[in-house]
Amino acid sequence: MPYIGSVSTVDELPDGEKLELLQGTLEVLILRSLKLEANHAYGISQFLQQQSDSEFLVDNGSMYPALQRLLQREWISAEWKISPNGRRARYYSLTQAGRKQLVKATSKWERFALAMARILAPEG
Amino acid sequence: MRRWWSKVTRALGRRRNLADELQQEMDAHLQFLMDENLERGMRPEDARAVARREFGNMTRVRERSYHSWQFPAFESLVQDVRYAARGIWKARAFSLIVILTLAVGIGANTAIFSAVYAVLLKPLPFPSGERLVWLGESSAKATGISVTWLNYEHWRTENRSFASMAGFQKMDFTLTGRGQAVLTRAGVVTSEFFRLTGSHPIMGRLFTASDEEPQTAETVVVTQAFWVKTLSADPEIVGKTITLNGTAYIVIGVLARDPKFFLQPIDYYLPLRPSPAQASKRDAHGGMHVLGLLKPGFTLAQARSDVDTIMQRLAEADPGPEDDHRVFAEFLSAEQTGDLGHVFVLLMASVCLVMILACANIGGLLLIRMTTRAREMAIRTAIGAGRSRLARMLVTETVLISLVGGGLGILLAGLGLRAIEVLGPRDIPRLSEASLNVPVLSFAAALTVAVALVCSLVPMLSSSKVNLAILLKESSTGSGASRIGHVLRGGLVIAEIAVALVLLFTSGILLRSLWAAEAVNPGFESGHLLALELQLPPLPYKSDAPILDFYRRLEAELRAQQGVESVSEVNCPPGAGDCNDWWYSVVERPALRREDVPLTLVNMADGAYFQTMRIPLIAGRALSDEDRAGTPAVAVINEEIARAWWKDPRSAIGQHIKVGGPYMKGPVVEIVGVAADVRQFGLDSSSAPEIYFPPAQRVDGAMVVMIRTRGNPENMDAAVRRTLASIDGNVPIQSLKTADMWLGATLQQRRFTTLLLVLFAGIAVILASIGCYGVFNFWISCRRQEIAIRMAMGAGTIAILRRTGRQAARLGVIGLVAGLAGSWGASRWLNSMVFGVSIHDPVVFVSAVLAAFLIVLLSAAVPLWRATQIDPIETLHEA
Repeated sequence: MPYIGSVSTVDELPDGEKLELLQGTLEVLILRSLKLEANHAYGISQFLQQQSDSEFLVDNGSMYPALQRLLQREWISAEWKISPNGRRARYYSLTQAGRKQLVKATSKWERFALAMARILAPEG
Repeated sequence: MRRWWSKVTRALGRRRNLADELQQEMDAHLQFLMDENLERGMRPEDARAVARREFGNMTRVRERSYHSWQFPAFESLVQDVRYAARGIWKARAFSLIVILTLAVGIGANTAIFSAVYAVLLKPLPFPSGERLVWLGESSAKATGISVTWLNYEHWRTENRSFASMAGFQKMDFTLTGRGQAVLTRAGVVTSEFFRLTGSHPIMGRLFTASDEEPQTAETVVVTQAFWVKTLSADPEIVGKTITLNGTAYIVIGVLARDPKFFLQPIDYYLPLRPSPAQASKRDAHGGMHVLGLLKPGFTLAQARSDVDTIMQRLAEADPGPEDDHRVFAEFLSAEQTGDLGHVFVLLMASVCLVMILACANIGGLLLIRMTTRAREMAIRTAIGAGRSRLARMLVTETVLISLVGGGLGILLAGLGLRAIEVLGPRDIPRLSEASLNVPVLSFAAALTVAVALVCSLVPMLSSSKVNLAILLKESSTGSGASRIGHVLRGGLVIAEIAVALVLLFTSGILLRSLWAAEAVNPGFESGHLLALELQLPPLPYKSDAPILDFYRRLEAELRAQQGVESVSEVNCPPGAGDCNDWWYSVVERPALRREDVPLTLVNMADGAYFQTMRIPLIAGRALSDEDRAGTPAVAVINEEIARAWWKDPRSAIGQHIKVGGPYMKGPVVEIVGVAADVRQFGLDSSSAPEIYFPPAQRVDGAMVVMIRTRGNPENMDAAVRRTLASIDGNVPIQSLKTADMWLGATLQQRRFTTLLLVLFAGIAVILASIGCYGVFNFWISCRRQEIAIRMAMGAGTIAILRRTGRQAARLGVIGLVAGLAGSWGASRWLNSMVFGVSIHDPVVFVSAVLAAFLIVLLSAAVPLWRATQIDPIETLHEA
């Protein structure tokens, strides 16, 4: 499995490989993954992988610091709970501020994706 | 802000928790991955290995997560501090000496500064205290004379430079009707006084102009302390009366706080009402002085000339004997502290010298330490520490050690202040208010930071020239021969010796002065002498007869007591200062011009006084109990007056003194005797002219009964009190103490100053010795190999001593010369405090130089001895 960092440049993007996350996208995706229910780090990475049809591979070296940053900004909160299969895990959930941030970031990313698609779409 | 704070707490306290939590979280994550792999049917070992691979680099996850918690700059500061603490701990002996040196320096400075602040710098506790002016009158002979009521009235209404003026004076009254009669202190003031001092009542009202009307009822405003202590905090006190000197005064108010305007605590305030004579005559002096509030923008000089103009106008409009009187005006703050400023500047300067010594010592120690650490620095540089990082580490170390020393110094200052409170003289205004308040603590903090900065320059200077290659090749102690370090160390030795010498000299002069003052013959025998100070209340002691009768009976009763040798009364015993003074002239001599008429102390003493006190009579006779109201008026003069007018004191007998001088009313008295001088102003004063009158011809209710005892005078205390109570229980005792205590009190301030300076000189000597020892010791260590080679080549002990000692001697001599020059300069400063010795007293100079020389000798002795004990073979093998 190729190793993917968090910074990308166009010429580095290899054909047919998994997509690398753009700067700042991982945090929004984590917020999104917690929108419906609390989850632990492993669960979040599973969620992102499944929802992107395995296009995104989340590197733990990026995800853990991203979780810490979100905690510091108090957009998410953490607590230790027992998972359904009986394992103790640290569950993250959205805070009120996190929810607001998610709404803001979602609309920003939608506009961004739309603009990108318009420019990159085939002419005619 | 909150995020910033959460970072700080994370960085400091929860660091370990966070790391633990992260580890647990990653373990859980691995467990999930393993569970999944097991479900897929892997063997447990494989499942674990694959999970690890899937998870990725755990260390990298950990590091990058840590990074998101920390403050890089703050973290490295914490790291610096940790390194510094480790460095300090590693060199414990060195650090302890530095910290103690700093603590002593900063502690002494802070304690003295807090005293200076309280006495000299702190603003007066009155609104616009900086504009308050103390006013009196002055003549050609004296300044600060009391102001007459009429002059005050003219000043108050005609001046242009003062916003307001108040008259004030202090008086003692006997309070009766509330248990035992007690002596109480009154501030007698005009109504503006309270506004000028910012006083408010907690009950009732303060004075208005109507309280000063002569016909109205007597009123009094009591202080809160007096109200609580003596009036049992009676909530209904306003409107009730208290009896002072037999007269009823209506209490009209209670003060919220005593303005502490007078040096002694005041019990209550009375309105100042002029007597009929004072209200009509411009030269009728009471004891009143004037407090004025300068209008903003006016200078003291303008105010003086303004009031002087009024005095000149008055001299023309209402001529009298005091036409030459002018105003005397000083800012209240300056008037209250007087020449204390001088004393405190001296103390502050000496304590600053101690601080300089402390800094020099620490600088020297750091310099030496840096040289021995040169190798450590070189290694650190070699393994990649940047120059700025190294410098930061050294500075952090110095700053940390300074902070510890400063903190300890503040603790020491606190102790010092307690000592000052106990030992300090009572007559220094506001000294008891000295405390570690905000300005004082800021001073200590600023001092600590300054010291830290100065001291950290030393390692910076010496570390900037580190040459890696050379240092790593050299032996472990380093050569220590860098030129800059050499010059700095030599300079330190010179400075330490010079400063120590100046302080030794200064304290020596003061010590000699104190000894001279204590050895002064007071002019009488002060041992076995008890002094009972009394002030008879005006009722029933209204006229001369009851007063004389009271003292006659008291003397007779006391004389009958066991252990009493003789008893006599005097108005003003030696050491009591100036109880009264007046002009005089000699009738048989041509009249002097008005401005040349001399002043003399005026005293009253009964027949047995000179015999009781053992004051020698030089000519004529003593006063006797036969000198009564009806008999010819007589007086005894002291030797000072006799020698001023007559070659032989015996010629004075039979001549006449005109009291008041040729231009003032006053009786003419015949000189019947000449007595030896006594130190009326205290031991460290010179003798002053004095005239003694028989009490019966000049009656005063305030007398001091001198009791010559056979045994310890303090044992008579109870008997004296009993005797007094048996004659009149309503007479309060003002004081009952031995004559030695009266005299000793006059030296209290001198003792205090001298004690402090001797203490500073002692600290200076210790610091200088340590500093010089350190430098000399270091030199020898650096030159071990050179010395070993010389020895190997056949140099004897004497030759080694001569070579190594020469340098110490040269520095010592330069230091001594610099110190002598400094002492010569300092002696001019001491002028006003020197008593009984010359400022350039050779004994003090020589002993100070000898002591400083001893410092050099002792601090050089051990290192030099070590130099001679070097074993050449062993030392040369080390290399």
